[in-house]
Amino acid sequence: MKIIYLFIAITFSLALNAQVTKVNLKASGLTCSMCSNSINKALKTLDFVENVVADLKTYTFEISFKPNSLVDFDKIKNKVEGAGFSVSEFTALINFNNLHLKIDEPVTIYNKTFLFVNLHEPLLNGLKEIKILNKGFVSPKEFRKNKYPALLPGTFQVTI
Amino acid sequence: MSLIISLRKIKCSIVLVLFSLSGHSQELFSLTEPASNRPAGSIGFRIDNSIMDEINSSRINYHLIPELMVGVSKKITIAANVFFSNRTEVFRKEGGSIYAKYRFVSHDGVQKHFRMAAFSRISFNNSDIHQEEIEMYGHNTGFEIGIIATKLARKVAISSEVSFVKATDNGNKNKFIYGNVNSKAVDHSLSVGKLWLPKEYSTYRQTNINCMVEFLNQLNTGSGKYYMDVAPVVQVIIKSQSRIDIGYRKEISSNMIRTAPNGFFIRLEHTFFNVF
Repeated sequence: MKIIYLFIAITFSLALNAQVTKVNLKASGLTCSMCSNSINKALKTLDFVENVVADLKTYTFEISFKPNSLVDFDKIKNKVEGAGFSVSEFTALINFNNLHLKIDEPVTIYNKTFLFVNLHEPLLNGLKEIKILNKGFVSPKEFRKNKYPALLPGTFQVTI
Repeated sequence: MSLIISLRKIKCSIVLVLFSLSGHSQELFSLTEPASNRPAGSIGFRIDNSIMDEINSSRINYHLIPELMVGVSKKITIAANVFFSNRTEVFRKEGGSIYAKYRFVSHDGVQKHFRMAAFSRISFNNSDIHQEEIEMYGHNTGFEIGIIATKLARKVAISSEVSFVKATDNGNKNKFIYGNVNSKAVDHSLSVGKLWLPKEYSTYRQTNINCMVEFLNQLNTGSGKYYMDVAPVVQVIIKSQSRIDIGYRKEISSNMIRTAPNGFFIRLEHTFFNVF
């Protein structure tokens, strides 16, 4: 019985090794501190968010997460939009555990599916920062330049 | 005609002066609403006080309008308010209104945006009709429907509103005495805002001071009579959550009967974020 529990714990911790440690997002459509504060407070209501550090000069928000929590990128983006603004840049710091990448093949890590648009590093290990390229996670101008194919729902197009 | 041309020149000069000054800007206008909405899930509470000079007497008209504003979603804001006034000798409740705004255009860029919204107000008022001016915010029963466009660019926030107002009879058997033809008007406003302090943002606790100028005009579609007002406003934002606006509204030009077009106003507002 103890061996079973140990096995479950190891599997769980291995899965957790591929988890999001931080998200950095840049918001657009605002200049005032009250606007920034409405985004800041909205992000803090997410149950998986531990802390938000806002930079009023650059309109960026560094979000850290509660241990062992399921981070939902769409919920983060929706909170910014609910406050009345948009996300113009979204990067996530993820701890990878020997992930092999193949071009055009989505990989599922924990609760997220990623499609890497470039293969500079076919093997990912350790902390890497990935940038989300989906609509609503980049500026409309950048999204229009993007010629990547349409995605299945729930899949994030990313680059390192 | 020459008066209207010189007034237009004054408006353009003021706008150009504000355009040339550097700094960030605010679009939280005082006498008009921007095309942006309140944050979803927020509830704002506002108390509007106006101290207006009666033209034909030494009396002061005091209006108190408490208001509740709700950010229903990123596209919809609704509000409700109650009108109190001492214009009829006794300080009493005169009516109220409900307001809704729907944002249908939103283009965001870094430190800029362009938004458009449609809005409507339905008002009820039981005081007597005492002026040709039609005002859904504290004087007349009726409705207003309009469109707002707001542009925020790094240095300036500019907003313009066009609406149609229709007055009906007031409550308490107070009829609209100027006739059905003269019960409709077109309102237009142009507002410009600029942030003065702080010169550089560092924390949410910093007090923000904004300066704004709003031009408010009405043209009665029946009589052809009009008014043109200007309202400079100083706004203080405390801890990025509360707001105090102090302004003065002044008639620049008009040929319609108005009881008390000039006076000071003070608005206090506090927003509760993420209430629901």
